[in-house]
Amino acid sequence: MADERASDQSVESSLATRLARRFPAGSLAVRNLSRQRLRAGLAMLGIVIGVFAVITLGMLGTALQTAALAELGGLGNQVIISPDDGEENLGPREVQAIRQAAAGGGTVIPLNSGGASVSGPNGQSFAQLYGTTQPAALFGVDNVPDTLRQGVAVGDELAAGLGARVGSAVEIEGNRYRVLAIIDSEGTFSPIRPGSAVVLPPDEFVADDYAQVVVQADSADDARAIADGVRERLNTRQERVSVLSLTSVLSRITEFFALLNGFLLAVAGISLVVAGVSIFNVMLMTVSERRGEIGVLRAVGVHRDEVLRTLLVESTLLGVVGGALGAILGTAVVVGVALGTRLPLSAVLVPTNGLVVLGAFGFGMLIALGGGLYPAYRAAWEPPVESLRG
Amino acid sequence: MGPSGSGKSTMLNMLGLLDDPTTGSVELLGERVAALSARERTDVRRKRVGFVFQDFHLIPTLSAVENVRLPTRFLDADYTDRAVDLLGRVGLADRLRHTPDELSGGQKQRVAIARSLINEPDVLLADEPTGNLDRDTGEAVLGEIQTIADAGVGVVAVTHDSLVGEYADRTVELVDGVLDG
Repeated sequence: MADERASDQSVESSLATRLARRFPAGSLAVRNLSRQRLRAGLAMLGIVIGVFAVITLGMLGTALQTAALAELGGLGNQVIISPDDGEENLGPREVQAIRQAAAGGGTVIPLNSGGASVSGPNGQSFAQLYGTTQPAALFGVDNVPDTLRQGVAVGDELAAGLGARVGSAVEIEGNRYRVLAIIDSEGTFSPIRPGSAVVLPPDEFVADDYAQVVVQADSADDARAIADGVRERLNTRQERVSVLSLTSVLSRITEFFALLNGFLLAVAGISLVVAGVSIFNVMLMTVSERRGEIGVLRAVGVHRDEVLRTLLVESTLLGVVGGALGAILGTAVVVGVALGTRLPLSAVLVPTNGLVVLGAFGFGMLIALGGGLYPAYRAAWEPPVESLRG
Repeated sequence: MGPSGSGKSTMLNMLGLLDDPTTGSVELLGERVAALSARERTDVRRKRVGFVFQDFHLIPTLSAVENVRLPTRFLDADYTDRAVDLLGRVGLADRLRHTPDELSGGQKQRVAIARSLINEPDVLLADEPTGNLDRDTGEAVLGEIQTIADAGVGVVAVTHDSLVGEYADRTVELVDGVLDG
């Protein structure tokens, strides 16, 4: 009978016993936490909220930055050269100099420009006209042909106003042109706004000189080098051209996002610190209630560092469980936001956001550990005689 | 034996390396205890001393077996079998998984006695072991302690309960901090 009972008990508790033996501090900590479930739960809730805040704000910030840079990315690679005040146009000499500066680093696209009234099947509108031999390089959209002959490409906004489609005809200053392509302005971000423009073959312009030269550089660094090269070649003696490169603007935007993200993370971080204070408070209450027990542990031969470890495991557990819950909730909410808005999910699922989650979880755990440090130290280092009286 | 406030518990705490005398010195096997570090004292308690307290001092979240093997919880070896055996010896073989709030006062004190024996101590220090027990239970508990003493463990009990005196080989009166007899 007694044997039966003993074997029952050993089977029932074998896993728990093995775990308890393997992690003596951990098993004591779990039991102690389960004694005051509400209090432990509330302390943990603080960590959940803190980690949640860090993760949602951090991940959304990163996602916004990623999405914005993806849209603005092309901007940083463009160098736009236009005649300086007083100069009329850019002649072959200037274009030649720009080609030299851009050699190997980008595509040079000389551009005629002007304005005219354009009429289509359903209406008439004033539009910006561009003339270039390389529309595809500039407007970078699949459906724009590499060269235009006898036809035009129309920006999508303008086309909608005119009722023009591919194949229909538009009339510009008495000449009829066939629409070869509609330029999709969505996603292109450039000082050359193609949405309400008509792109013509350059022969259609009277002047031989160019109003602007756009250099589509291969990278932001190339763009910077080309801008410097053009200034050096053309502006050394006299300001002949003005060079607009948005690389610096883009790096400002990047800096701004970094600052914004840092600020948001700091605000969220404060809520985690507050959670740490609440853990500190809970652990102080816990050890003062358990003074007697801690005294017994010390009296029966449990070392100070073993008591300390047990108590630290207790507070760290609050951080681990709370941090995990906060991480799951935060990630779920950010993914939900991405699915419910125009924010692309691909901008959320970037490696940086993995670091945000890990960092927030780790920070939450550290905060909880830090919150338990002093109470645990005070309890473990108290002389056992004093604790036993407690 | 002695009235309350006479210094019985203080003396026991000094014997158990829990407290230091304000004057004088305590020696353990020829070594001054005051010279030992906190860690060394803890080791002495862990290896050589067993404690039994008046109000049992069991950990409420732990079962009887776990309370008994508490002093060895942070050691590598598994003392569960010994704890079960000890609980059997104090008559609690059917209370192994019970937590302290499921045990009577006498049962709690017997768990505490089993706990004090888990490390096979040289000396058992008992502070008012019958203080919170009725007379019959007290006698049963003292019977257990008697068995331990018969097995060769030195038992020092402080009490003002004359019942304890009946079980003692030698009784020393402590009055206002002075030993008598």
